[in-house]
Amino acid sequence: MILSRRHLIAGSAALVLTAPALRAQSYPDPAEVLNDPDAPVQGNPAGDVTVIEYFDYQCPYCKSNHPLLMDEVARDGGIRLILKDWPIFGPASLHATQLVLGAQRQGDYADAQAALMATKGRLTEAQIDSTLQDAGIDIAAASAAHDAEKDRWAALLNRNAAQAQGFGFMGTPSYIVGMTMFPGVIDQATLREAIKAARG
Amino acid sequence: MMTCPAPRPALRALLPILAALAVMLALASGLRPALAQESLGPLTSFSSAGQPMGADEAFLLTVASEGDAVRLTWQVMPGHYLYREFFRATAADGTGLPLDLPPGTAKDDPGFGAMEVYYDAVSAALPAAAFPVTLTWQGCQDGGICYAPITRTIAADGAAAEPAQGMQMAESPGLVDGIAARGGAALVIASFFGFGLLLAFTPCVLPMAPILLGLLSRQGERLTPLRGAVLSGVYVLAMALAFGALGVAAALSGQNLQMVLQSPAALIAVAALFGVLALSSFGLFELSMPARLTAALTRPGTGRRGSLAGAAGLGFTSALIVGPCVTAPLAGALLYIAQTGDAALGAAALFALGLGQGAPLLVAGTLGARALPRAGAWMEAVRRAFGFVFLGMAVWLLGRILPGPVVLALWALLALGLGVALGGVDAAGPRLRQRLAKVAGLTAIVAGAALGFGAAAGGSDPLRPLAPLVGGAPTAEALTFTTATGSAGIDRALAQANAPALVYVTADWCVTCRVIERDVLADPAVQAALEGRALIKADVSDFGPEAQAMLDRLQSVGPPTMVFLDRGGAEAPGTRLIGDIKAADMLRSAGAAP
Repeated sequence: MILSRRHLIAGSAALVLTAPALRAQSYPDPAEVLNDPDAPVQGNPAGDVTVIEYFDYQCPYCKSNHPLLMDEVARDGGIRLILKDWPIFGPASLHATQLVLGAQRQGDYADAQAALMATKGRLTEAQIDSTLQDAGIDIAAASAAHDAEKDRWAALLNRNAAQAQGFGFMGTPSYIVGMTMFPGVIDQATLREAIKAARG
Repeated sequence: MMTCPAPRPALRALLPILAALAVMLALASGLRPALAQESLGPLTSFSSAGQPMGADEAFLLTVASEGDAVRLTWQVMPGHYLYREFFRATAADGTGLPLDLPPGTAKDDPGFGAMEVYYDAVSAALPAAAFPVTLTWQGCQDGGICYAPITRTIAADGAAAEPAQGMQMAESPGLVDGIAARGGAALVIASFFGFGLLLAFTPCVLPMAPILLGLLSRQGERLTPLRGAVLSGVYVLAMALAFGALGVAAALSGQNLQMVLQSPAALIAVAALFGVLALSSFGLFELSMPARLTAALTRPGTGRRGSLAGAAGLGFTSALIVGPCVTAPLAGALLYIAQTGDAALGAAALFALGLGQGAPLLVAGTLGARALPRAGAWMEAVRRAFGFVFLGMAVWLLGRILPGPVVLALWALLALGLGVALGGVDAAGPRLRQRLAKVAGLTAIVAGAALGFGAAAGGSDPLRPLAPLVGGAPTAEALTFTTATGSAGIDRALAQANAPALVYVTADWCVTCRVIERDVLADPAVQAALEGRALIKADVSDFGPEAQAMLDRLQSVGPPTMVFLDRGGAEAPGTRLIGDIKAADMLRSAGAAP
């Protein structure tokens, strides 16, 4: 029943959007994508529009576009923001992801993330550590907190990657605003328009 | 997308069209939203607002045969780039293949310094025999999206092939790479000096202390702290040079030199050298350079060149003794050299490692010179004691190639000889020192007898010579390993087990391995942690091409190395253990590995 309805919608979307939307039948379940219990939520948790970004801490365009996204979240006030870690740039990215997720235990998730997103391009593990330390994050505690729940975080990262691939995203950044996917960097006008459209 | 060798001109003609397509797609990719869902009413599934160019279109791989080689060419669409550092090529058995990629264009990256990228096209050749290979590449659309790594397994004709099965080693940031990224070459060299200092107190390096002190003791009354420092310095420098040379030779020959260092010829030669040193210590003859050579080298008034050369020679050969002791830093440096061919940094790192290992010896040599008695009967006793130490070294080296009982018999002879020399069978004089010496001598004789009985009964463990007579199963063997001596053996064992596995790279001649087996693998907590895991010994005692291939496959430079594999044969990242392994390390890795 659910499956057939999803097929139907995917089919009609395909009429408009052509090839990429043909993959819609394998798109991940919205409930799982929008309400992952382990994925930290920022912005307004009770907001009426959910914005999701699949990102990597070493992806230059995720970071250059980050201020735009955060400004919009602050300005709008009704956006529920979920940044989903999709470390595609190797061990250093994974290291960054693990420390920031671990920093959640001390209530430093947003600060840790903001510090790393304020860097420019590629990072070494040492640069990640020093950036976080300069931002006042206790990286030993963050690392210990991550290790204490490493299965939970590893499962979250696996779900994130599976979702990103399920959406047909080829890399980072890739956004979801409401129910629309935006692979690649998004500009302010597009973001606002998408948020408006999602509020319908 | 994989394509068969495409005629170049046709590709050229297509380029403008593809470029136009790329620009259109780039514009469509998120920049121009297709907010089509407004007309679809409430949505229960996702819809896409456009799509960037597919990764296979953005980076088009073509494969062309070139005699014995296969040329791989990635055509990079306008507005995209590929990262040089993210290219990887892996053979079907999981070994890494070096890709001779040209220098890329420097792309400034404020965090990382200049990154090398390719904007138009990049190509590299691989030997046709290496196929099928698994290739990985990664790049970005400039200003738009960074693609997740793209991995394809292809045959020599470019057709898609089955990805490699069996063992998959975890990608780990190399030790040298990691440090270099943090602080450049200077930090690499400083770090390796530090590693050397730490290693100086492991079972691998400790034998060097008696060698050096033995050398110093043969100086007799000529020994002053300054002379001790000079001799130790020369010894340490020569040892460090040998390490550096090992790195250069590894880079030039492209193969693991352990095979050469472990050859019976090398071992016998070094054992013989220790034998000669021992005899010299017993006062049979004065060890010095041939008289004419000494005379040629010696200027009036110095008269010491000979022993300096001796110290240098001894230092150089001492590196051979430590050679088989693979430690994490040594493995890291050798792997770095093998993977990058950067002999300069690799050799400098190994040289620094050698200096670090030798630094405590330098201190011991300088202070020891003061501590060693000036002359007289005491001096003679010290020299003789070192003679026994040298003989012990020789037996220990021969132990790597001779059967266990024979080695045990040699130990028995050595212990009996020591007992007799200590006066165990002489009538003890009235003085306390004489009586203590007699007790020590008798102890050595009893131990020698036990070793001899053990050898006769077919035993091989010098620490438990009578084990074959006692017959009780020792706890250390509670873990049952399947032994493999080649790559195929490991595959068989893995296939049979169908469970997560631990591959333990070991060899008879690996001293550190004995310590691990006695202290770590016998630990009940470790045994509990390893339960349910297939235990496979990768035995490289007989170091031939088979063993080398197995090491290459495991991406190990030698024993002791512990590799944790999951059920599918993939190595769990960050769990590999190398060198002096402690029970806590095993528990951590066994816990972290699936």
